[in-house]
Amino acid sequence: MTLSAESQKTVDAYLASLRKQLRDLLEEDINDIVAEIRAHILDKTSGEAATDTVASTLAALGTPEELASRYRTEELLKRAQMSRSPAFLLRSVTRWGLLSLVGILVFAVSVFGYLIGGGLSILGVLKVISPSTTGLYGQFTASSWGLSFNSGGQPAPGVHELLGWWLLPIGLLLGPVLFFLTFRFDLWSIRKFWRPRAWR
Amino acid sequence: MKEDIPQFPENSEKWEVQLRKGSLELAILASLWDGRLYGLEILRHLETSSDLIVVEGTAYPLLNRLRALGLVETEWVESDSGHPRKYYQLTAAGRQRALEMSGIWARFSASMNSLLEPLNREKSKQTGEEKP
Repeated sequence: MTLSAESQKTVDAYLASLRKQLRDLLEEDINDIVAEIRAHILDKTSGEAATDTVASTLAALGTPEELASRYRTEELLKRAQMSRSPAFLLRSVTRWGLLSLVGILVFAVSVFGYLIGGGLSILGVLKVISPSTTGLYGQFTASSWGLSFNSGGQPAPGVHELLGWWLLPIGLLLGPVLFFLTFRFDLWSIRKFWRPRAWR
Repeated sequence: MKEDIPQFPENSEKWEVQLRKGSLELAILASLWDGRLYGLEILRHLETSSDLIVVEGTAYPLLNRLRALGLVETEWVESDSGHPRKYYQLTAAGRQRALEMSGIWARFSASMNSLLEPLNREKSKQTGEEKP
């Protein structure tokens, strides 16, 4: 325990920042992790067996952001593998997307699948409640074209409803199926592609 | 980022990194076989009794995962250094897993070695010629 006051301040700041970055984990786990990293730093930099400087020890651990993100990713993806909740899966995939190329692709596909799947399901339900004002509208002219979902208001002039009553089966069947497939895709890709990274 | 995508490594160094990566879990479990160790002891054990060098910032999160999987359990122990240390110890499931993995490893390396026999003969012939 022979750290200089300045080194002590550096270590404290590092640990405080790590704690802040880990905040969405369980309080108990955060305390455990921070205490272990603190012991590691002290073992390497002070006492008889000290081998390293504070700077090199902290460098080997990575920045608090990097270290915390490895803990959170291990934690989240482990729980996600057993998860039944699309929201939790999407959150895990979002974090994964911050770390790797495959993660980004899976994240993009997830967002797309959930939005379209969820949107179609909601439209299907709205079509039952308010049939005359709900629909998938399209506008096609020589200069521009566009698709839009609409519900509740009167459609703008020049815009045609495309699906009519077909929106009912498409929305109510295809929507949930797409949603479910996205969920399965997330689970599958996490199990297949995610690897903990532990080596240089 | 690229290492997430399974692909054939473009050179022997990269291949070696992948090989080491795949064996890290077994290496950690094996280092705990004779008794409990704390994190830094595990790292030093891997460095001295093998040439495995593990990055600290990735080893601790991995240990955390092994614990969550129930392969190791942890315990805080007071030390005379002034701060307690977190010790890791194999659970029954961890011992079982280590034995299974070590069996797979033994079978795999035996069959690889016999497959590599001709290459090794070639290599010893070459070194023999260089030093007559």
